[in-house]
Amino acid sequence: MPIKTSDHPFLTRLAESEADPFMQAAVAKAQDAQWDKRTAARQDLGNWAQWRELAEQIRQHVVRYLPDYLEEFADNVEARGGHVFFAKTDDEAANYIKQIAIDKGAQHVVKSKSMVTTEIDLDKKLLEIPGMSVLESDLAEFILEEDDFDEPTHIVFPTLHKNRDQIRTIFHDKLGYDGDNDPQHLARFARKYLRASFLQADLGVTGCNFAIADSGLINLVTNEGNADLVMAIPKTQVVVMGMERLVPSLKEAEVLDQMLSRSAVGQKLTSYATFAGRQVDGESDGPEDFYVVIVDNGRSNALGGDFEAVLQCIRCGACLNVCPVYRHIGGHGYGSIYPGPIGAVLSPVLRGYQEFGDLPFASSLCGACSETCPVKIPLHKLLIKHREVMENQLHMDHSFNNVLMKGIGVATGTPAMFRMAMGVDHTMFGPLSKKAPISTENFINNGGFVKNAPSLAKGWTDVRDLPRPPKHTENFRAWFKKHQSENKHA
Amino acid sequence: MTEREAFLDSLATAAKRPRHQLQDHPFKPLNDLPDTTLADLSADDLFALAEKSSEAVHVDFQTTTKAALPQALDAFLAAKAAKTPMLPTSTAFADFGLTTWRDQLTPQPSFWVPNAGREANIDTASHADAAIGFADYLLAESGTITVATTPGQGRAFHFLPTHYLAVIKKSHILSRSRQAMYRYEKAFADGSLKTSNINFITGPSNSGDIEMVLIVGVHGPLDMTYLVVEDM
Amino acid sequence: MKVAIFSTCIIDLLFPNVGAAMVEVLERFGCETTLPVKQICCGQPTFNSGYVKETQKVMHNEVDALLGVDADYIVGPAGSCVAMLKEYPEHLKDDPEYAAKAQALADKTYEFSQFVYRILHVADAGARLDATATYHRSCHMTRLLGERTAPFELLKHVQGLTMVPLPHLENCCGFGGMFSVKEPEISRQMVDEKVDSVLSTKAEILISCDQACLMNIVGRFNRRGEHIKVMHLAEVLNSNVDMDRVQYIDDADLVPGGGTYANQNQ
Repeated sequence: MPIKTSDHPFLTRLAESEADPFMQAAVAKAQDAQWDKRTAARQDLGNWAQWRELAEQIRQHVVRYLPDYLEEFADNVEARGGHVFFAKTDDEAANYIKQIAIDKGAQHVVKSKSMVTTEIDLDKKLLEIPGMSVLESDLAEFILEEDDFDEPTHIVFPTLHKNRDQIRTIFHDKLGYDGDNDPQHLARFARKYLRASFLQADLGVTGCNFAIADSGLINLVTNEGNADLVMAIPKTQVVVMGMERLVPSLKEAEVLDQMLSRSAVGQKLTSYATFAGRQVDGESDGPEDFYVVIVDNGRSNALGGDFEAVLQCIRCGACLNVCPVYRHIGGHGYGSIYPGPIGAVLSPVLRGYQEFGDLPFASSLCGACSETCPVKIPLHKLLIKHREVMENQLHMDHSFNNVLMKGIGVATGTPAMFRMAMGVDHTMFGPLSKKAPISTENFINNGGFVKNAPSLAKGWTDVRDLPRPPKHTENFRAWFKKHQSENKHA
Repeated sequence: MTEREAFLDSLATAAKRPRHQLQDHPFKPLNDLPDTTLADLSADDLFALAEKSSEAVHVDFQTTTKAALPQALDAFLAAKAAKTPMLPTSTAFADFGLTTWRDQLTPQPSFWVPNAGREANIDTASHADAAIGFADYLLAESGTITVATTPGQGRAFHFLPTHYLAVIKKSHILSRSRQAMYRYEKAFADGSLKTSNINFITGPSNSGDIEMVLIVGVHGPLDMTYLVVEDM
Repeated sequence: MKVAIFSTCIIDLLFPNVGAAMVEVLERFGCETTLPVKQICCGQPTFNSGYVKETQKVMHNEVDALLGVDADYIVGPAGSCVAMLKEYPEHLKDDPEYAAKAQALADKTYEFSQFVYRILHVADAGARLDATATYHRSCHMTRLLGERTAPFELLKHVQGLTMVPLPHLENCCGFGGMFSVKEPEISRQMVDEKVDSVLSTKAEILISCDQACLMNIVGRFNRRGEHIKVMHLAEVLNSNVDMDRVQYIDDADLVPGGGTYANQNQ
């Protein structure tokens, strides 16, 4: 699927997410478990603040000199006998890979998990080739594929929204599995099925965690080991990578692998971290033909501008795992293959505000994402920046009309108007205030509260009661004046 | 202009930064944490940490001596009830004093054979129920073995067999991945290492993709044993 | 010392009890307070909604108003609003007239609990409150201001008060300023989880240093018909005070704040 995963409007997606209590419970449970694991892994390393600074520096440096690093990497891939293709768009990338598959006469493609291949909709493109089979080998991606290409809901845990019963049913209906819903049994079944497919694979497609500029190797990390089989068995390998995923050398790759593993899954290193390129003389396995497809697909929109920091991302998913909004609306709520805080920043950069303008507003700006990010992307600030671009530069309208919001700007910037507001508040709210049940103490202190407010406050009272404001003779400023004069006379 | 040049130029234009500035601004890390973290551990400290870290990632961590190595390997194969063991083609057998053991091993092992070709070696590995390989280094911090692919010990050697044991010298226990990278970079630079692939392997294959329940043994080996040779 | 009260629009509009409690606590510890009358709002409602241009005048007004009175410090009863003032130097850095003033403002501005604990060096404010309570830590006070400890240190010494830890302390309550009115569908689910967390503690009182979060959480309590008493920390520290119990703390013994999103260490 391309970046956009749903044609449903944002509010419909939110309602769909809320109607899925299993998903919500699964996300909350995953977030809580990861919170402990991630925190422990970082404390265990020590000096986390300084490690973050180093990781940020590596990523900022690479983004700053990106064309130079891409050139160095491409030269080194070619020196190893590999091929490099630069793709401006998703279609260019997918078509190029399709042509490789046709030229090689490939019929059995195996893939390891890669967000960028999802982004360029590669599976569908390859399946246009008659007789072609495409197999996702990451367990989660395999489950989604067998479930008629269901949407991933997390960039590290794509099947977070599915439970074991649903997975059992998919395996039963699609693959003839007749065992129970024990995850161990389901995984063993998948292992056996996938192993047979691996052995007949003639084209392997992988993503790339980091591309090592000075050696022409790519770095992939997995826990399952599927990427290594994709890189070992087929004669041809195609690597698809977002253009920003470079590091100067093995040393920086090693630092970022550590940051990634600890942030994504709370491990010191994932089970497999591999640095690989085209087969060298004397070796039996590994790719004889090695292609790297470097994809822009909207990333250059971020270069040199306010959103450049988004290119620092190493796709650890930690920001999803701490996000209180993601906790409730899940991946599907965002309608992008990149959900959560990073998705809300990245999706509009890649595809614009018409498609993803809702996402930057779907945040309470709590800053948990910015706090956890191992490469120090100021995510909540970039969300505000998106809002600024939409409101101040593009004059887009987001659920409130601009006149109202600008009115607030004038009122909160003009002392005389604010004084008027404080004066009329109590009276204006008077007719709306209810004497109805008050279950709280020290909250509704001025005679009633509001249950159904109009205009700006409607969203508030859709959810919560609003205390009636005090009379202007009883507000804080009036109190302070009185208090001061009492002090003087005391 | 080539497609590559057009692409790179377009990035420079978008970024409003000229190309080819890196030469004058090479990467200089702002701190030396990768070098200094766990740098002051003694050999025994490293060993103790390696054991703890390995066990934390579900590795069967064993030790032996050079003299007792054959018995330790026999015990491993017996414990796994191996019927189709697989070995690499490697000069390490001589180094570890295992030439005779290798030549007399029963059941008769199969080998990853240089120049035997992709299909033959992959077929052998996929039918092996146990593999015994030689690792380059063991990283104490994370319980990670590192291994560079060679003609006699291919990539799939480490992934297709059902059970897997790596033999490592105690003197090759390093504190962290940074120290391993220095050694690989040096070996690339002086020409002593020609490889297409370096694996960092931290315990057996696993997945949490189904309800985040940990499953050990997905695509790679179902279990993993590290055998550290204490007097080497 | 002279303290200018940064009252915040929400206290001005809705909660005189909180402002009064803060003033009384500060005066008890020797502060001479003034209330700059031209102040209105820190500007977050418009700034965080993307109306950055429209917020310039709001920030200018606030700088002029708060610096316009003679004071050594500026103290406010809201971690979020104070964090915004602390960000003024960044927001106004290209403003030739206001960049330096913004820095001067930020340098002497403190959130209430921070000021009491870190500047006045009060460990025990002498308060007594016989109750079981839990504390909601606001996101902005924690992550933008970097103050995660001062309120807890002060609450530790309130006589008779039993504090119960709030589960999922780290999760946002769903207020988020305009977020709460623009995205009620999401905000409702967040505040419901927060209400449930508070209920799980069986606390009688919910305390915070951010009245806006409290307004959100307790507004939801009231809608759901659940019982809770709400108190700002200033009200707690202003309860049944006995000056004989007051204790101060040395600079060296202060518990660090814990860092902001940019520099905290875990």
